[in-house]
Amino acid sequence: MLEGWPPPILDPAGPYAWPVTVLSWVLLAMAAAVLLVVFAALWLALFGGERARQRVGGTRIVWLGGIVFPLVVLTALLVYGLTLTASLSERIRGDEMRVRITGEMWWWRVAYLDGDGQPVIHDANELHIPVGEPVVLELESADVIHSFWVPRLSGKLDMIPGRRNLMRIQADEPGQFGGQCAEYCGGPHALMGFVVIAHEREAFERLMAARRAREAGPPPAGDPRGAELFASAGCAACHRIAGTDANGLAGPDLTHIGSRKTLGAGILPNNRGTLMGWIGNSQAIKPNNRMPPYTMLSAAELRAITAYLEEQR
Amino acid sequence: MRAWAIVLGGLAVWAAHFFVLYGIASAMPGRVGARWLVLIVTLAAIAADGLILWRTIGAGRRADALEAWIARLGGLGAALSLVAVVWQAAPAVAM
Amino acid sequence: MKSETGFDPALLDRFPTKGPRPDDELARLEEAWRAPKGWGLLTAVNNNYIGTFYVGAAFLFFLLAGVLALVMRVQLALPLQGVLPQETYNQFFTMHGTLMMFLFAVPMMEALGVLLLPQMLAARDLPFPRLSAYAFWAYFVGGTCFFLSLFFGLAPNGGWFMYPPLTGTTYSPGINADFWLLGIGFIEISAIAGAIEILVGVLKTRAPGMTLARMPLFAWAMLVFAGMILIAFPAVILATLLLELERALNWPFFDATRGGDPMLWQHLFWFFGHPEVYIIFLPAAGLTSMMVSALARTPLVGYQLVVLALLATAFISFGVWAHHMFTTGMPTLSIGFFAAASMAVSLPAGVQVFAWIATLAVGKPRCNTPTLFVIGGLVTFVIGGLTGVMVAMVPFDWQVHDTHFIVAHLHYVLIGGAVFPVFAGLYYWTPMMSRRALSERLGKWVFWLMFAGMQVTFLPMHLTGMMGMPRRVYTYLPGMGLEPTNLVSTAGAFMIGAGVALFVFDLARNFRFAVEGTAGNVYGGGTLEWLPTGLYSTRSIPVVRSREPLWDQPDLARDVDEGRYLLPGTATGLRETIITSPIRAEPQYLQIMPGPSAWPLLGALFTAGFFLLLTVQAYTPAVISGVLAVPSIMRWLWDTDRTVAEPEVDVGGGIRLRTYATGSGTHGWWAMVMLLVVAAMVFLMTVFAFLFVRGVHPEYWSDYGGKGWALPVVGLYAGAAGLVWLGRYLLRREGSTHWSPATQVLLAGATIALAWAVDFTGWRGTGFDPELSAQGALVMAFLAQQGLLAAVALLMVLYLAARTSRNLIVRPRSVTLDVVSLFLLYAAAQGAVTALITRLVPGGW
Repeated sequence: MLEGWPPPILDPAGPYAWPVTVLSWVLLAMAAAVLLVVFAALWLALFGGERARQRVGGTRIVWLGGIVFPLVVLTALLVYGLTLTASLSERIRGDEMRVRITGEMWWWRVAYLDGDGQPVIHDANELHIPVGEPVVLELESADVIHSFWVPRLSGKLDMIPGRRNLMRIQADEPGQFGGQCAEYCGGPHALMGFVVIAHEREAFERLMAARRAREAGPPPAGDPRGAELFASAGCAACHRIAGTDANGLAGPDLTHIGSRKTLGAGILPNNRGTLMGWIGNSQAIKPNNRMPPYTMLSAAELRAITAYLEEQR
Repeated sequence: MRAWAIVLGGLAVWAAHFFVLYGIASAMPGRVGARWLVLIVTLAAIAADGLILWRTIGAGRRADALEAWIARLGGLGAALSLVAVVWQAAPAVAM
Repeated sequence: MKSETGFDPALLDRFPTKGPRPDDELARLEEAWRAPKGWGLLTAVNNNYIGTFYVGAAFLFFLLAGVLALVMRVQLALPLQGVLPQETYNQFFTMHGTLMMFLFAVPMMEALGVLLLPQMLAARDLPFPRLSAYAFWAYFVGGTCFFLSLFFGLAPNGGWFMYPPLTGTTYSPGINADFWLLGIGFIEISAIAGAIEILVGVLKTRAPGMTLARMPLFAWAMLVFAGMILIAFPAVILATLLLELERALNWPFFDATRGGDPMLWQHLFWFFGHPEVYIIFLPAAGLTSMMVSALARTPLVGYQLVVLALLATAFISFGVWAHHMFTTGMPTLSIGFFAAASMAVSLPAGVQVFAWIATLAVGKPRCNTPTLFVIGGLVTFVIGGLTGVMVAMVPFDWQVHDTHFIVAHLHYVLIGGAVFPVFAGLYYWTPMMSRRALSERLGKWVFWLMFAGMQVTFLPMHLTGMMGMPRRVYTYLPGMGLEPTNLVSTAGAFMIGAGVALFVFDLARNFRFAVEGTAGNVYGGGTLEWLPTGLYSTRSIPVVRSREPLWDQPDLARDVDEGRYLLPGTATGLRETIITSPIRAEPQYLQIMPGPSAWPLLGALFTAGFFLLLTVQAYTPAVISGVLAVPSIMRWLWDTDRTVAEPEVDVGGGIRLRTYATGSGTHGWWAMVMLLVVAAMVFLMTVFAFLFVRGVHPEYWSDYGGKGWALPVVGLYAGAAGLVWLGRYLLRREGSTHWSPATQVLLAGATIALAWAVDFTGWRGTGFDPELSAQGALVMAFLAQQGLLAAVALLMVLYLAARTSRNLIVRPRSVTLDVVSLFLLYAAAQGAVTALITRLVPGGW
């Protein structure tokens, strides 16, 4: 979920975002200054005295204002912009932590990769990173073009079918950073958010270790009635919970749903009420998303499934 | 046709330069040789613009008013093209 | 003074002539140009009518697209509103963008060109009046049906940029996307027809003495505009064609799983899409330059620099397309090149802005409505230009790309750069077309509402974008701080709406169409459109000796109206105009022009019917409609290319001009060459697509062999070219029999068709399948294009045969034969290149 205020572009949280913030302020100042010059010239032209109007009226001002002045400003900006672009897109070393994020209509598949590029931990709509280290994201798409954007950490980069784009992000302090799909991807494109959570190093290691163990080990016991309903209502056809029979791949992985910060791809805070509401009729919350409404389930049944899912942490 | 060649010559040099550069960058992404090739092509474009400038500056004093006007327009176009060509090559040096 | 064509410029010093003019001269002129009455008006082709219809239709689409915008702003006023459901909103924003770009902006500029250019150039009409009529009716009928799709829930919903794979059949199975692809593809064809008309008009029908250095800036702008359309539009025509083929026939141009690439669409689309912005801006800048000068009552400062700015913009705008793709992960060096060009393109804009400011400083503009709109437009455009420089900086663009910051930026550029100048122009030029001028009192209200509304809507929107709100979202979540700026933007949008509504009221109250007895030169302009006119434009065609003839020659209006200049009546009793040379505007010959006809209207209706029926998958009626379009168009052409009794006529002052001309440099030749430029650009873009996809996914390419087929195919095409030359040679030899030249050309057409069939057969033998890989699909696209050329070539030679049989081929040289020959030669050349490139670009490099 994006924060809104202060504008995230102007509130950077990592080394791939703050140079752009500096650039933004420089550009805003440049725009204001040039605007002032143009307005001053226009003001003199319209309301100035005879002498001032004579100065502004003539080919000389076209040369000065229209050619020389922009030439100087633009040359400086061009060099600044090019060098900054180059430094922000420095070659990736290869020893960074890697995560593959796949844009899907209208959520994000997340897979933490090992050294060989094999996925080891599966998740969705949420990314955990360690503080102070660059993390390389492999951006892919499963269907149409999406664009991955977490403004406080970096600019955006598109996810294009048939291609793999690499992006680096890094957070310098622990916290949550909202993201959003930026390329129109049809239907509920507006409701396709994302969350990055940065942890201190040890906390991050602990989390990853726990999750690796969870991928390999048995699932938490959970509410047995909920587990049964999860299977019988058809949830497992689309969702996976590691270590259970539920291994559907069409929808988000629910192995860690209980600990997720948001629901519906970054659009709702995750709590018992919202989770129940989402399962019961997600179409009312995020119209045209791919999950059918489960209005045939009773409140008790929904409660049971919710209780079961809350255990999946 | 000659008049059009003078008027559009400089701008056409920019266009040719740009598309050759785009071709180089697309055909050999991330190669150092690309940068050298860009510089060579740029020098050629600068020379072509210079030639047009040199030819049109003299022609600006022609007796025929329209010919002088066209020559001057062509010269201005070549000068603008020169600036744009130099900018166009900047990425090969600065990036 | 030098001469361009051998015409002695001193002859023009005979004007204005002395002595009385014949009594019946004016009556005969009026008779020749008399407009049809009542329902017959639908068959009018005169630019006064077509131009007015055209402006009216474009303005109508502006209103409709504006209403869509208001509804969208209501939906976005508060978070999670339910005014527009998601799907409807997606259709609305797609339609808003599409209507504004394709059905308002470009047509409005063409419409103003059709309306104003003949007057500004003192031509009797544009050189191909029936083509103007066709372009208008095709656009109006096609555009209206396209808009109506909204009421059936069938409107496209993939955004005006229509990126695949979202717009492919997998993710857009309905016919909504087809409406866009076929509807817009068709309207682009109409735009190209208009562009050819305007280009030839500016180059060939200027008043004598109106050299390049004396052309009104709007004419310069329209020249550049039309040239840009010819280069840019083919890219999007090809793109829409490929996507439609992918949807209809499953040829995977953009499907990454079969070797296609979604990025190909983006390159093709933006190669059109960015120049498109300047295609809209330049004519408006031309209008502004003329109005600034007239309103300040002083010649434009830096005329030559402004001309250069127009030309430079046209060139450089073709090097910036990928700045819409900075976030797609292109190679860094490529990104750098596009960033540099994006900087360069802002230089010419700065030149124009300061030329306008300098001109305002020299003169003393009064505070009237056009001046307000011009200055308001200037201020707004400068702000948009500056945010444009900001987004040309790649890292900044990575952040704000596809956010509401861009929405704000583009509306500043387009409203400031095009909409305000057009409104200024409507106020400024209405007195030329109407018995009453528009109201100054209401006009000031209109301006202040629109100007303030514009700033209130879009200034806060920059912040909305920086706060993270993406574009093309039907709603947003509460609690993110996005509410205040969105609410303000909605309020502003309604201010703009109120301003436009007031303008419509003003229009209804004061606009009364007239050609004679108009309100006249209210603002004191110095260019030729302010001469007294009738449907025939000016009574006589003046000799131009400066940029603002009306200011420099106080007697000009009287002398022109008394018939003391060229062509004071009609020399042949028909509609006619003087064709002049492109650089010095020396009189060359007299063009006989066609009069009113229902055939362009019918041709347009059937062409529109073909595309629209195809969209709704009514294939049989579509084919019938398409088949009917061909004879309609041929029937309209049938009346053209005739000789008159007098091979030479006196156009006044003892100057004698031929009444028939053909060969290079004539208006028909220019038009055909321009059409071939379009065809060549479509072909070039296909070659680009071929090499691009080959470079991205070489693993999907294989060598189909069959290289040997290239030889006979190229040989046949060469033979066709030879036959064309033989036919032209025989025609020139008076000894030839009635049929012999046409027979050669007929054979040439047949040979082209045969060569194509051989090429196609060769490919079928190799067992390739267009559905299997992008390579196959592109080879098939090449062949389909060539097949289309061959089909048109066949129609042309049949038309030529029909004319020959009626003895309608002019000897020793005929325009019809010349333009058909040109087309056949081009078709043969493209066919040969097609055969070579598809076979010689190997599978395994």
